[in-house]
Amino acid sequence: MNCKKCDSPKTVILRKKDYYCDNCFMLNTNHKFRACLGKNKVLTPNENVMIGLSGGVGSTVLLDLVHHAISLENTKKLRITPFFIHLYDDDCRCLAESLIKQCEKYNFDVYVVHLAVYMNSNYELPQANTLQDFSEENERQVFKDMMNSMPSSAANDFLLKIKRNLLVEFAKKLNCSVIFTAETTNTLAVNLLSNLAIGRGSQVQYDIGFCDNRDDKVKIIRPIKDISNEELNHYISIKQLTPVNDSHIKSNSLQSVISSFVSELQDNFQATISTVCKTADKIGDQKESNTHEKCLICESDLDVKNMKLSAFEATNVSRMVSLENNQSYPTFEKTPDIIHRLENNNNTSVFPLINKYLCYGCSRNHSEMNIHKLPNQLQKALSAE
Amino acid sequence: MPVPCRRGCGKNAVLKRPKTGDALCKECFFWAFETEIHYTITKAELFNKGDSVAIGASGGKDSTVLAYVLKTLNHRYNYGLNLMLLSIDEGITGYRDDSLETVKQNRDDYEMPLKILSYKDLYGWTMDEIVAQIGRKNNCTFCGVFRRQALDRGAAMLDVKCIATGHNADDIAETVLMNVLRGDIARLKRCTAISTGSEGTIPRVKPLKYTYEKEIVMYAHYKKLVYFSTECVFAPNAYRGHARALLKDMEKIRPACIMDIIYSGETMSVKEQVSLPTQRTCTRCNFVSSQEVCKACVLLEGLNKGLPKLGIGKSSKAKRMLEEYNAKQAGNEGALQDAIKDLNDTNSIGARNQRISSKKKNANKENNDTCNKNDCCGGGCKSNASNVDPVASNKKLNMLLEQFGLDEKESVKKKSSLENGVSDPNDEHSDEETPFNAQEEDDTCSASCGGSHIAF
Repeated sequence: MNCKKCDSPKTVILRKKDYYCDNCFMLNTNHKFRACLGKNKVLTPNENVMIGLSGGVGSTVLLDLVHHAISLENTKKLRITPFFIHLYDDDCRCLAESLIKQCEKYNFDVYVVHLAVYMNSNYELPQANTLQDFSEENERQVFKDMMNSMPSSAANDFLLKIKRNLLVEFAKKLNCSVIFTAETTNTLAVNLLSNLAIGRGSQVQYDIGFCDNRDDKVKIIRPIKDISNEELNHYISIKQLTPVNDSHIKSNSLQSVISSFVSELQDNFQATISTVCKTADKIGDQKESNTHEKCLICESDLDVKNMKLSAFEATNVSRMVSLENNQSYPTFEKTPDIIHRLENNNNTSVFPLINKYLCYGCSRNHSEMNIHKLPNQLQKALSAE
Repeated sequence: MPVPCRRGCGKNAVLKRPKTGDALCKECFFWAFETEIHYTITKAELFNKGDSVAIGASGGKDSTVLAYVLKTLNHRYNYGLNLMLLSIDEGITGYRDDSLETVKQNRDDYEMPLKILSYKDLYGWTMDEIVAQIGRKNNCTFCGVFRRQALDRGAAMLDVKCIATGHNADDIAETVLMNVLRGDIARLKRCTAISTGSEGTIPRVKPLKYTYEKEIVMYAHYKKLVYFSTECVFAPNAYRGHARALLKDMEKIRPACIMDIIYSGETMSVKEQVSLPTQRTCTRCNFVSSQEVCKACVLLEGLNKGLPKLGIGKSSKAKRMLEEYNAKQAGNEGALQDAIKDLNDTNSIGARNQRISSKKKNANKENNDTCNKNDCCGGGCKSNASNVDPVASNKKLNMLLEQFGLDEKESVKKKSSLENGVSDPNDEHSDEETPFNAQEEDDTCSASCGGSHIAF
């Protein structure tokens, strides 16, 4: 079998059936990255772009692709000024060190920020290429406690929101109006199903699509969203790169179940992941919303879609009929009374603070968290009347 | 240790509700379960006073509970509905024949008229015959497509205002996942609607949309409702099984995720620039379709032409198959003409037709044979079926009781081990979940094959 494109001997097999040679494969992958940025037209020349690096497979390749694209000296040169940032926590300190070395090879500076800065909203830029001596031992512990105080599904979801929040904040500090993140097709397929499972169906466009523009000033862009892990692994072995980290989601969670499900199904049905992502591309808001009410945790528009009855009301009614204890034995009342009573009983909601401060998904998570472990500012904002 | 009922009635709770985690006693659970469905019906304005409503009845737990609850609520809250049962006989030996007996029982118990339509009468094929043609894969496609239309036809015959189906929350969440995995954006958009149907069609409503399957099973168990709980014999290969397996795994981790998935489906919208199929009527049978010719007609045409795969997969493939078929037909025709000329015998066409019909008869006979076998061991075979039945449902129940039941689980377990005549090995282990889970994962696709379930 020979390369599909140029008939030279094949070296790469994709999807168990498509053959490529190294050259054509690399061209193709590079093209996917360029095309993704090109056709969406969000970059203006010489823009400051912050690039979030996790050290994983996607991030390693993104780093290489960006390096390659900005070192070109022809018309194809990618005209951006990149800034690199890495968010880490105590469990992967040495990863952060390897990541600094990884960037060193390209002569890039990288800011390494501890996730615990979320606790006191202290968004000071650290010195580049150094692991800041994060003296606030206390804060790190508080952060850990907060993450451990919630079930793993909520923790995985919340961590994504924290990272998003930190990226946006630091981008503002660096005067970047665009952020690149390195989610691959595989990650996004898992994220789409996770989003659905957490009640974030209306946010799919931002969490899985090409561009997250929930923040007014900073856009988050996913330039390698059309490249699969399979392709990335080939890329890495051809270019002999060394990723420093494997993405880790807490096990025994919705996300971990979905992740293993997707890769299993992908094995049997090679189109699974691309189908899921193509579906995601078709989901999105029909109208630009004109409300300015945003979720305090994830910045999504608060759902105001007018529905007579949704799973939200149904869950609340479920709770109410299970709690009501003003009569020892259930009686069967006439229609209007009971419906009326169910509707006007708001203090027993399963969803704290929903539609006032939080979206459905964040509110669901919130109900499983220990509220007193959240950052002070957030606690204060959530309790404000 | 007994847990008191959360509603404060003083009794001990018998189960923990998966949706909210609250523990309730039996009476309060009945009340909560029914009141929720009442709320759903009223809030979503599913029915109007005086309507005739057909309940899609399969004899399974969902439709049995639906029929029972609708009858109860109709009486209690004065809906003024004229309820009737509508069943479809797909012709699946060892499954539907038995479950229809259960539906007849429901008819007598709930005093509702019952109408049964069979695939054989409507389409000329039973599912047994179809499976003999198509094989074990893709057969749920035929069954689902035909049933959807069969229910429409039945509802038209009964002259009802709407059809109520027993789809529960698990079914809906599963369908959302399945449509994402298959990339079916059009169905993804409408699959969470509680009531579907446009002008010219009879709307379908799902009063159990927010009701967990687990609670339905518990309700039927505590109310001692008679239902049929065998898995469709053709189901295990359905694609839906993948979505179902995923949902079951997720439910174990966070039971509320079923509601969250439904909420996601409800609040998600489709981008404007995406073109969606428009609903129209089939040019051949005049029933609802998204294409010029509806899926039921295409599938039927395929069966009748001996090309059972015609309606499966891409339409381009179907086109090619048809062309090949026509070319072959033309060739055959030519050969036939020659034969006619040679023999100068006009009866040969008749003979050919006869051969075909006798072949068909043979197929029928074979099925009849198997049926007869069931019949001839009469009591034995029946008791065999019903032997399997309670054990299976007991296992499922045991599992549910384990997860959500509170004090009664001991007694049920003992009862089942008595019934089985062997001591339950699980009694010795404190953590018995695994064997039951394994058992549950085996039953992959009851939803797509329950009588009232349509591939939406």
